[in-house]
Amino acid sequence: MDPVVVQNLGKRFRRRGVDRPSSFKEAVLTLKLRIPAEEFWGLRDISFSVPAGRTIGIVGKNGAGKSTLLRLIGGVITPDEGDVAVHGRIGALLDLGAGLSDDLTGRENIFLSGVIAGMTRAEVGARFDSIVAFAELEDVLDDPIRIYSSGMRLRLAFAVAAHIDPDILLIDEVLAVGDAAFHRKCLEQIRRFKASGCTIFLVSHEATQVRALCDQVILLRQGRMLSFGPTHGVMDQYEALVEGRTQSPGRQDVPDRKIAGGGKLTMGVTRFGTQQVQIEAVRVLNHENAPTNCIVSGDGIIVEVDYHAKQPALSPNVSIGVHLPDGIACLDTNTQIGGLELANLSGRGTLRLTIGRLDLCGGDYFVNVGLYERDWDHTYDCHELVYPLRVIGANSGRGIMNPPNRWERVGPAESAEPLLTAFSP
Amino acid sequence: MSEALLGLKVIQPGRRAQHAWDLLVELVRRDLKIKYKRSILGIGWSLLNPFLQLLIFTFVFGHILRLNIPHYPAFVFAGLIAWTWFSSALFSAPLAIAGNPELVRRPGFPVAALPVLTVASNAIPFVLALPVLFLFILADGGRLGLSVLALPLVVVVQFILTLGLACIVASSHVRFRDTQHLVGLAVMLGFYVTPVFYSARSMPEKYRLAFDLNPMAILLNAYRDVLIDNRWPSWAPLAAVLVAGLTLLAVGYAVFERTRASFAEEL
Repeated sequence: MDPVVVQNLGKRFRRRGVDRPSSFKEAVLTLKLRIPAEEFWGLRDISFSVPAGRTIGIVGKNGAGKSTLLRLIGGVITPDEGDVAVHGRIGALLDLGAGLSDDLTGRENIFLSGVIAGMTRAEVGARFDSIVAFAELEDVLDDPIRIYSSGMRLRLAFAVAAHIDPDILLIDEVLAVGDAAFHRKCLEQIRRFKASGCTIFLVSHEATQVRALCDQVILLRQGRMLSFGPTHGVMDQYEALVEGRTQSPGRQDVPDRKIAGGGKLTMGVTRFGTQQVQIEAVRVLNHENAPTNCIVSGDGIIVEVDYHAKQPALSPNVSIGVHLPDGIACLDTNTQIGGLELANLSGRGTLRLTIGRLDLCGGDYFVNVGLYERDWDHTYDCHELVYPLRVIGANSGRGIMNPPNRWERVGPAESAEPLLTAFSP
Repeated sequence: MSEALLGLKVIQPGRRAQHAWDLLVELVRRDLKIKYKRSILGIGWSLLNPFLQLLIFTFVFGHILRLNIPHYPAFVFAGLIAWTWFSSALFSAPLAIAGNPELVRRPGFPVAALPVLTVASNAIPFVLALPVLFLFILADGGRLGLSVLALPLVVVVQFILTLGLACIVASSHVRFRDTQHLVGLAVMLGFYVTPVFYSARSMPEKYRLAFDLNPMAILLNAYRDVLIDNRWPSWAPLAAVLVAGLTLLAVGYAVFERTRASFAEEL
């Protein structure tokens, strides 16, 4: 059996301070007024299996979910979906030195962190000399580590961690610190772990290190597993990604889509959401029911939305808006405001919004469409700035609105006729 | 290190128990060392507090407002050290989890050890004060009878009760930072409604129920029965406290396990 098997792993995070009461007062106050939580998947749809003795690199940009994945494998946090099966003793080199106590001596700290790392006192005792030799701290062993330099602390922490004989070792960015000599020592130790059949997960930003140590690499991007495969190929992809050579590939299973006469749908750029319910097509029609992307100011439009609910969605909300290219909403309405109860969406179907008239100034706009969960907690699918709408408005001034208007002069008039009349459109 | 000790790691369940014990010993040791390092009196500070209270209570209630409790110094001291263990454990329980983020975030670390650590660390001054209490009793002309044998049992019951409460307090504090203040208030009130410096037996009948339902009152009575009055504790109330303590521990552990998953994220 593989020592680490990860299936469909997903971890949801809640943006801090949005709805979580942190005091009794807040808990009482928010009891009735539950503010919708802003949740996002820090990691999702991760599946892989690692045979014993492999060294796996985990790479990705900041916030891609590398540390989250490591913590899930380590069992420090629990997944919201899927599972992690780990067989064997886990050792960890994560924030080294965080558990050291300033006021204790080096000797005391070796015992303390050894026991915290999972050894019995007897085991630490048996390896004590070897630990001290590895850390090169013989001279200061009985001084409180308050007086140690940061390099000495690191050496002590790594030396202890290097003596735990784990079956699975989790390493997070530790090798980014320390001097060159120590660095070399750490790498040697990791090779020794490898040689002893230990399964290693290594999170690192240093491509050369990953290339040198790892058999396989997991590339993460925005919480999704972009690739998992032999080091060489995946690292090429990673380096290309970091240098921005590839176009953003988005979610693997949601391919980009060109919109006729408009923009491109790309996950994370113009398209957002969990995709449990998808918007398959959006049509803008004129008052004669013909598809259009250009109207005269004051004309009405009809927006039709084809949806596909892969799983039934209970009372979702649909919003449609007309926005300026910089995102400013000129119009934003939804089924809740419009009083259309969508009890249950399943399978495919079409929704239609008729806008009687659009009194907008001439210019370029976008029709944005979004599908949301019942309480607006999650976005199923949202398309922004991809469906263009040009409005032609003669005589429209500055601003956004261009309703019918008329100028006239009132008061003592030499002529009965108004001097200036403008009527538009 | 001896080979015999090393042999323990071959037997897995034995090794786990050994590791759990070693972990507790090392962490308690760390707590004590950090608390008293670089102070001249060291652990003496933990003993000084009940001693000073003892002086005050003996003076006030032994000489000014006479309570007429026989062997009053021993009586108060027994109450004080047991109460101090209970209250200091609960005072520090909010930080059992919240104060150790680096341990909570460590893969494989048994987070459930942290409340145990809190109760155990705070038991050290109590254990060290026990011989002093024995001296008091002997100096006061008393003697230690066979009933002293029941002392470990009373200590264990108090440990279980305190641990159950500590689990709940520690889990709660991770989310609600008000817990610390609420516990502080509750413990302060508890000191007065629990017969620490007075005797429940001298109280009017109408208040008796309040003492009969207070587990700490029952425990203090048991300590005094066993140590000062040389008689076996009242078994029924003690058993009731044990059952209550075990229930609390079960509930506390369940709460702890339920919220444990979120500790690493909340800290």
